[in-house]
Amino acid sequence: MRFEQLNPFTVAVYYLCVLGIIMFSMNPLLLCIALLTSVLSAVIGGTADKKAHLFSLAVFLIAAVLNPLFVHKGMTPLFFLNDNPITLEATVYGLCAAGMLTAALYRLRDLSKVMTSDRVLYLFGRFSPQIALLLSMAIRYTALLRVRWRKISDSQRALGLFDDGNLIDAVRGRARVLSILITWTLENGIVTAESMESRGYGTGRRTSYAVYRVHKYDAVLMIVCILLTALSAVGIYFSKAEFYPVLSMNLLNPWGIAGAAAFTVLSVLPLIINGKEAIRWRWLLSKI
Amino acid sequence: MALVTVKNLSYTYPDPNGRGGACSSRIVSDKDGVHSDDRHRALSDINLSIECGEFITLMGATGSGKSTLLRLFKPELRQNGELEGEILLSVGKATLSHRTSVSGDSLLAGSGSPLVLRTFPQRGYLRKGSLGAVDITEAVSSMVGYVAQDLEEQIVTDKVWHELAFTLENLGMRRQDIARRVAEIASYFGIDRWMERDTATLSGGEKQLLNLAAVMIADPELLLLDEPTAQLDPIAATRLIETVYRLNRETGVTVLLCEHRCEELFPLSDRIVILDGGRVAFDDTPRKVAQMIGRDSDYSAFLPTAARLFHLVTRSAQINYAIPQSPLTHVSGDSLLAGSGSPSVTARRLPNGEHLYQREPEIPLSVREGQRFVGSLQIKETASDHADPPLTEEALTLKNIRFRYERRGADILRDLDLTVYRGEVFALLGANGAGKSTAAAVAAGLRKPYAGTVKLFGKSLKDYKNGTLYKENLSLLPQDAESVFLCETVGEELKGCDTVMQNLPFDLSPLYDRHPYDISGGERQLVALCKALSTKPRLLIMDEPSKGLDANRKALLLEVIRRLQHDGVTILLITHDVEFAALCADRCALFAQGRIAAVDRTDRFMTDNRFYTTAASRITRRFVDGAYTVALAAERFSTDGGAV
Repeated sequence: MRFEQLNPFTVAVYYLCVLGIIMFSMNPLLLCIALLTSVLSAVIGGTADKKAHLFSLAVFLIAAVLNPLFVHKGMTPLFFLNDNPITLEATVYGLCAAGMLTAALYRLRDLSKVMTSDRVLYLFGRFSPQIALLLSMAIRYTALLRVRWRKISDSQRALGLFDDGNLIDAVRGRARVLSILITWTLENGIVTAESMESRGYGTGRRTSYAVYRVHKYDAVLMIVCILLTALSAVGIYFSKAEFYPVLSMNLLNPWGIAGAAAFTVLSVLPLIINGKEAIRWRWLLSKI
Repeated sequence: MALVTVKNLSYTYPDPNGRGGACSSRIVSDKDGVHSDDRHRALSDINLSIECGEFITLMGATGSGKSTLLRLFKPELRQNGELEGEILLSVGKATLSHRTSVSGDSLLAGSGSPLVLRTFPQRGYLRKGSLGAVDITEAVSSMVGYVAQDLEEQIVTDKVWHELAFTLENLGMRRQDIARRVAEIASYFGIDRWMERDTATLSGGEKQLLNLAAVMIADPELLLLDEPTAQLDPIAATRLIETVYRLNRETGVTVLLCEHRCEELFPLSDRIVILDGGRVAFDDTPRKVAQMIGRDSDYSAFLPTAARLFHLVTRSAQINYAIPQSPLTHVSGDSLLAGSGSPSVTARRLPNGEHLYQREPEIPLSVREGQRFVGSLQIKETASDHADPPLTEEALTLKNIRFRYERRGADILRDLDLTVYRGEVFALLGANGAGKSTAAAVAAGLRKPYAGTVKLFGKSLKDYKNGTLYKENLSLLPQDAESVFLCETVGEELKGCDTVMQNLPFDLSPLYDRHPYDISGGERQLVALCKALSTKPRLLIMDEPSKGLDANRKALLLEVIRRLQHDGVTILLITHDVEFAALCADRCALFAQGRIAAVDRTDRFMTDNRFYTTAASRITRRFVDGAYTVALAAERFSTDGGAV
């Protein structure tokens, strides 16, 4: 089974673990690993196109430059800019923060690709059928509103009531479209309410139906994720990474290395699963 | 056992400005059935009995009380009206487990209060909200299914499978049961291929099929459908009706369907009930109803083409069908028919003095029966082909238009060429989703094609600067009238449209105080039309103007289009309604796969098309050419004088 096809719970636990480590450890070694593996995943998984990569690069550069420009803590000045010291410590910290931000961005992009709306709903539906329904309706309504917005602006334009020529008219036109959109949607909301009521909404306790099942494989993977995360956390606990006033690192002790190794495995887990799947497919195909 | 029994039912809306009801027919109503004092009386003295497994079609003009009656069978949808008489719904054998507890109960709506539930014999009266009554509401809710005409708004959730499951989730079913039922219904309706899709991406026909499936999944005993095909193109509409029919035959669900679309429903229904002004005007089998409605009757618009043609042809030759009174009485036994004045039996005196009784061919309802009937007639020769009207000046020219919505998407318009000449009514026909509306949007300058040119009155659209395009040149009547309304009242909405309205054959002034959303769909469209005309366009593009209109409203719209044409307005009609196009267009084009597949003068277009043409043309085209409307067909045929 491919990683995307796993139970949404497993996927959610996985991303929770990875993002947790990325965001709460200011550990240069782990962040390095995180950045490299998340770019690797995005490239292999095809979740980011050229534009997305360029955007991430820009985020990385801006975040890396901003910290030393505005933070002047640290004991080792590299050079002076407008009489302000640019310190080694602030630069390294900036690089780490930028790495964290970029890696987290990549992971979140992956997450949004994997976690389609029905998976999110499934997650919430386990806790509360009401919230699940609410979310599902919200998603449905966003799509509906988008279509309506276009219909309304078309008919307003064709009635000559909408002029893109100058800014004030354009803004006024948009406001009018919004006003119509709200009235229309509220008025027609009655039909939706009736449809819900006539299909028995509110008559009793709701259940929540989902098309996903929990396999043994899911459980095993979840345990693996949690163990790897725990090991990474222990590694973080035993390694020292202080930036100010002087860089003081102790990353390569045995626990630190074990933690980094565990985090590396955790980071490439989806790639391992999908790679294994691909190989198995090849093998099965070759037998046919 | 009767599933539903309605006795002496009357229903009155409390508020004169309330939704629906008889009041909405007043601007075009030429009937005096609606009196001023009981204007909001939506239904009066209804007696109706619906047997298990029946397929009943409920017809009537807008505001005749169809929807009101339908909603009364669904307690959750009842509005705040005052109800007299009684409705009895009998819950049959339990099919859902929780239904067993109330098996044998009945729901009784008594006078005065909006909803009184009575379970008998043990429980006494219960109201909604009290503990025991909830069971019954639940039981009734899953026993009676309701499908409305709006495609979009009935859909609650974002995924197809969730929409199906939603109904069962509400009933508190267990997951495994839901999984089973969803799988069953999906394969029955053939929607298993798009289970994973977003509901927003479905086509109109698919949406309504999903709505029907989502209702049927609760396994109701009574299925109510309120104009389910009003928003659909003819192909999707026929498919939906066929599905309902199949459900009725294969699962035995009782169907009560409100509809204007008589062509398919007359041959399929077990019974036709026609409402007029809140009263039952007819209630009988389709054939008898068709026979009772004569040629000149107000109700003839409810009949399918074949039956209308039958009436027109036989009535004009009435003498041939004169029946001696005495033999009829003891032969036919059909007292209903005797009263209607419609002949079904002819008597001929044989040389030996005996009477020979022959049954007339039964009144035809479907195209096939219509062909059989027409085949028994004599063909009259009429003046042949008239000359083509001069078409010289081009009003709108689309040349080699290519358009797509997304950069990587497929072309919606592929090399589209289209010319509309000045002063003509041009109908662009085709199925939903073929790209007609996109073509209209491109023609109106709302979408920019990536290749090709659009010219309006000889000038490229780009050369209309500063919004002059939409002032006195081009106007578009959108499909959804709601998308034009801005103001609180119809009066404000129509400010500045006075000169336009003087020319139109209807008067909207009685509606001036009402909110645009409180008037009926047909009226809304007229208001939108006035707004579209207020810019005095030379070219008017109308996108599906006849959608969801009843026969009266269509006739009115036809009159409007004729007047506009007379005033020199060029009209581009985007429609899937072939019958409507046949009545008003000068030229028709068939749109398919992003371009025009055929364009011709209306009579030739309708005659040459085999499938995509009017019912009249399909009935007559094996015998004569150019008889593509009922009126034209009636001119070409006559009875041959004797019995058939």
